[in-house]
Amino acid sequence: MLSGITTLCFFASYSVALILEASRLFFRSGVRGAVMVSFAAAGFVAHTVFLANRAHGISPNPLSSPYDWLLVVAWMLVSVYLYEIVRQPKAIIGIFVLPVVLGLIGSAQFATRESFDQTGAANAWASVHSIFLLLGTFTLLVGFVAGVMYLVQADQLKRKRSGPQRIRLPSLEWLERVNARTLPVSTLLMTGGFLSGVILNQINDSLSWSDPAILGLALMLIWLFAATIFNYAYRPARRGRKVAYLTVAGFGFLAIALGTLLISETEHVMSHRRETGDAGASVSPRNAGRTAISRESKQCPGEDLVAWNVRKQESPGRISELRERQPVASALARPAEDLA
Amino acid sequence: MKLQMVGCSHHNSPVELRERLAFSTDQVSAALGALRTRYPGSEAVLLSTCNRIEMYTAAEDPAAIPTHEELVDFIAKFHGLSAIDVFDDLFERTGEDAIRHLFTVAASLDSMVVGEPQILSQVKQAYQLANRCESTGPVTHAVFQSAVRVARRVTSETAIHERRVSIPSLAIADFGKALFERFDDKQVLVLGAGEMAHETLRFLMDEGAADIVILNRRRERAEELAAITRGNVAAWDDRLKYLARADVVISTTGADRPIVTWDDFQSIETDRGQKTLFVLDLAVPRDFDPAIARCLGVYLYSLDDLREACDRNRRERDKELPAALAIIERETRSFMAELHHRATGPIIGRLRHGWQRPKEEEIKRLFNKLPHLDDPSRDEIRHAFDRLINKLLHPPLESLRDEARHGPPHGLLDALQKLFRLRD
Repeated sequence: MLSGITTLCFFASYSVALILEASRLFFRSGVRGAVMVSFAAAGFVAHTVFLANRAHGISPNPLSSPYDWLLVVAWMLVSVYLYEIVRQPKAIIGIFVLPVVLGLIGSAQFATRESFDQTGAANAWASVHSIFLLLGTFTLLVGFVAGVMYLVQADQLKRKRSGPQRIRLPSLEWLERVNARTLPVSTLLMTGGFLSGVILNQINDSLSWSDPAILGLALMLIWLFAATIFNYAYRPARRGRKVAYLTVAGFGFLAIALGTLLISETEHVMSHRRETGDAGASVSPRNAGRTAISRESKQCPGEDLVAWNVRKQESPGRISELRERQPVASALARPAEDLA
Repeated sequence: MKLQMVGCSHHNSPVELRERLAFSTDQVSAALGALRTRYPGSEAVLLSTCNRIEMYTAAEDPAAIPTHEELVDFIAKFHGLSAIDVFDDLFERTGEDAIRHLFTVAASLDSMVVGEPQILSQVKQAYQLANRCESTGPVTHAVFQSAVRVARRVTSETAIHERRVSIPSLAIADFGKALFERFDDKQVLVLGAGEMAHETLRFLMDEGAADIVILNRRRERAEELAAITRGNVAAWDDRLKYLARADVVISTTGADRPIVTWDDFQSIETDRGQKTLFVLDLAVPRDFDPAIARCLGVYLYSLDDLREACDRNRRERDKELPAALAIIERETRSFMAELHHRATGPIIGRLRHGWQRPKEEEIKRLFNKLPHLDDPSRDEIRHAFDRLINKLLHPPLESLRDEARHGPPHGLLDALQKLFRLRD
């Protein structure tokens, strides 16, 4: 029964929790808090089981695909949300955290489920690369949510709003502390992720340095370094509104980096695969078509190119049909065509 | 079963009388012990706060508890007073009224500042102390536990406790706590040493503020306040130096012009480094130039801002009051119905018991006539008889429960006793 859990299950649970959180702005209810936590907790349990199912026996590097990676970040954010809602039950944190969670789950649907499967030293560096980027993304998102809440709370207090006029949020001091801590931590983690990615690329020598995913990550890293240096060199930057702006802007760069990764993900993933061959990607029923064409394209470097081109010419209709149905699949097919 | 309350509160008696009738914790224990000795069948809980002194007594047997006069006499004599002198100030509530009153008190709807949270913990402490003195029983357990539950329900289902209506409490609870997570590591600067400063400091100290610096033009006034609040006194001329370090400022001077101008504040901006500064300007005319509120990290609230928020809260709280009272009313009725239903327990017990004997006789006769029955069949027959009795008893018991919702079902109980010849 647990194997039947889909992303829709926890997406729906978190959506209901978000609606209930939003309703707190308009009216009071004695049972809503318990119902809201129950939905969020039920979603979290389903989310956990789903990730456990994905991690169980699919590849040497479980949860290493961009798809899993986004879902794991969402899962970590929900765990923070559940912890905070128990610690600060009156604060309406969910209207800030849950949209990010839903956004991550939604983005995951557009990401590939192919694992970064590697062998030997590359495998270890791929794991380090994934873990650093995952934790860095999580920290940046926590900083972003805290930053937005800080700005809303500061605005409310400047406008002298009290009682029902004000959205209940954690104190400015708490938000500022979270904000100020996430900036250097996320810079460190992202640097670790970037450097391990550089080493990985040196080993594989498979990805162009002008790849959009690398450029996106580098751009974000430059911003994070600039923000962190500014933060340490200029005292007011460690305080209040300024640090909130820095972390919110950090999210903008993260969005750019994630966007480029999602758009160019196949290049990013497949470049490794071209070096290592097919390592048995995880396949879900709905990805079967995509996997079929990706296998077809992935086999290209390991095969005789002439033979592969002959096979492709024999079934051009099949490839173009899948390309129309699956934009990602067409992207998967592209390297092979280029080679041809 | 009887429950009564005799006492006085800020509504009907002056503070002088309440002071004379108040019980310390040791006195509460002594009074409950003495009452139990004099009325051994009675349960008792004594609630004594600065705004009310209320003695709750209850017993299953109405004759076992002291009368109104006896209780007034007991309270008066305990404090060495004459019962005649205090009789008119001590009001009485009995039965449903007493329960409604306790629920209202616990939910802080009868407090001087409606919605203040301390009263619920005071009610709980009074009940716990009575438990330790072994003066509680089934009725007081049920009533006080329900009172705590009802108070929590009012808190969670209405916003009445969130609407602060006094300026110092609103300033600290609504604005201060939205700015700061804690106050024990904050530097508090007090400019002026008036009554308002003292009152606001009291709320801040309740939240843990300990690092307090008091500045006043007349140093002796500052020293008086510092002695009460365990703060430090500094020279008035150093106010800008302390302002640059402060996290919280309470300003209540009687100056006829701002004591901190825009230029003054700009001169300390570099030292402040834009850190969060919470300023309560409670002076009229204002002590801080209103333009300072535009500075980054400064949250400046004047008396008018806070008064406006208090008025808004008062209006909001008044809107919540009917909902809170409706909860009290529903819970009181529900509790009374349960209490009345519990009173029917002995009659129901006798009725069940009375039907057991003929059941056993009939089963015995049946088993004698059918000796070949095996044990499972005999058990099945026993269960069938039990089900039959339960089904026959169901309609009268439901009628009793329905009747108990409107008061003690004396008529039905009498009828049952007569119809089925139920005797003690």
